[in-house]
Amino acid sequence: MGHRTLGTPASSPPGSAALPASDYDLVEVWNDVVDTRHLLWSVIIGAVISVGTFLIAERILASVVDTPAIAKAYAMLAGVLGCIVSGVVSALLFPPKRVVIESTNDDAWRDQIMRDLAENPNTTMSERDLDPAVIREMEELGLRKLFASYGDGGANAPAQRKE
Amino acid sequence: MDGLVYDIIVAAGFGLFGAVLFSLVGLVSGTDETATIAPITLLVVLLGAPPAGIFSFWMAAAVSKHMTHAVPTALLGIPGDTMATPLLQDATTLRNLGVPHIALRKMISGAVIAAFVSLPLAVAFALVLAPFGQTITQAAPWLFLGAAVLIAYSSAGRFASVAALVPFVVIILALQALTGQYNVKLGVSYFLGIAIGPLIADLFTVLSPAERKRMHRDNLRQFALAPDVKSWGGYFPNPFKVLDRKQAQWTAGAAGITSATFVFSPVAMAVIMGELVGSRIKHAYHRITSVLAVRNGVTESTYIAEALIPLIAFGLPLSPVAAGPAAPLFNAPPRFTIDTATGTVNNLHTMLTPLEFLGYGLIAVVLAALVAYPFAMNYARGAAAFVSRNISHEAIVSTFVGLALVIGLWEGGFLGVLVVTVMGLVGGLLYRILNFNPGVQFMGYYTAVLTAPALIRLFS
Repeated sequence: MGHRTLGTPASSPPGSAALPASDYDLVEVWNDVVDTRHLLWSVIIGAVISVGTFLIAERILASVVDTPAIAKAYAMLAGVLGCIVSGVVSALLFPPKRVVIESTNDDAWRDQIMRDLAENPNTTMSERDLDPAVIREMEELGLRKLFASYGDGGANAPAQRKE
Repeated sequence: MDGLVYDIIVAAGFGLFGAVLFSLVGLVSGTDETATIAPITLLVVLLGAPPAGIFSFWMAAAVSKHMTHAVPTALLGIPGDTMATPLLQDATTLRNLGVPHIALRKMISGAVIAAFVSLPLAVAFALVLAPFGQTITQAAPWLFLGAAVLIAYSSAGRFASVAALVPFVVIILALQALTGQYNVKLGVSYFLGIAIGPLIADLFTVLSPAERKRMHRDNLRQFALAPDVKSWGGYFPNPFKVLDRKQAQWTAGAAGITSATFVFSPVAMAVIMGELVGSRIKHAYHRITSVLAVRNGVTESTYIAEALIPLIAFGLPLSPVAAGPAAPLFNAPPRFTIDTATGTVNNLHTMLTPLEFLGYGLIAVVLAALVAYPFAMNYARGAAAFVSRNISHEAIVSTFVGLALVIGLWEGGFLGVLVVTVMGLVGGLLYRILNFNPGVQFMGYYTAVLTAPALIRLFS
């Protein structure tokens, strides 16, 4: 079922294109989209859990372990585990701000790409000089006919299509 | 012999850990290799792992992440990390043709072959260069200055990056003077700050109303996930069957050549070798698939060479990879140190022999090939879908904010946290505005630590 926790937008049919996402205040941070309130909470959660774990572990270990350097290293390890815990907590609380669409092979896209490839003067669509292994590979993928149909010059361009 | 058997078991254990962990990390799109591999390796070093374990951990992590970052690149059309950018166009073409799984398989099969070719060659090249080690170590302060300028110029920032080196080094020197007043000497905090600088800078800028408007997005991020087709029986695919004979030869050849180039960026080498091979192949489909295999093979081989050659030959991080993701193998105070004043290097370079590097490296590459390769080939689609649907970006931000604070506190208390914040904010903003990237910033750090004292001695 995924996430039905706080912040899930009410008006978002799953999989629909370009969701307005009106309930979110979206910003792009560190190469992905987040909600500003969720971001604030995730920073607080990360800080409190990780630093808390580290400080508590440091206090306990200092009295248990004899060598201070080793106690400190283990306290850091505990702190790092705290980081992972804070990540898990944030992952459970805040859903991703992404829409994943199961793409079906879009003919319009494919025709556009094939036209671009056919127009490139440095390449050819012709099977002349092509290794039999490559021809077999294209056959298995259902691409052989498609490429051949755009063959030299692309005269009979989108006539044939693979099923 | 007991010692050797123990070391092999340790290497295999840490290698397996690195391979599994970073096979998963690679699936998260946009995770930079410097921001993830460097801090985790640093932890492995500081927690006291044996040298054989540290090396195989790093190696398995780097090779595995390189495999699985091809998954978001091929299936979602977003680069897994910076090294994947030269592959994006051809991968997108295949995605639009409805066969993104072919892009993925060509890419990572190229990477497997390249890893096995480049490891022994990189060790061999290192042995050739090793006799010059003593001279190189003595000249290190000036070499680092030269390397910093060269790497800055070859970054996207060009002269802006070269010029920005000066104030950047001054900031590091000033911070060192500040913490020195309280008898606190920091190293790791600078690294971590630089590595996650882009995140820290973004967290600051989002607080500013005008900048927030610029970062505002109206829509959720959209991904189109392509369908998958499996074309082999069993669990383990054979890279020599996924690539045709010519592609395997081109990939192995390109990987061999680029195993000797340890100062250029993997991205640049991938572009050059891809063009070179592409210009020899006429058929459009065959060209795209071959270029994908070769380019991904080349980013792998250059990456391995850039880390191993300086590590084995000199023990000094004289390449972009060595100064970035592999940095903790060279410098992880207090355990690994580089002191140019006395010319002493104390890191993996002094702890492992070239033969050990080769052996433990091979263990790591085999483990990555056994873990990451079949995983990416078999479960790419499901894994990419799971990550994009279930792991929010907020969760990743949460983890890294925690990491920055814990490491800062651990190394230098409140001062450590301050240094991470300052380096992150300044470095992150310079990266965004001037393209003064983290690799260049790491070189700036070395310039401050190694070259600046030598310069001051020279003029006093």
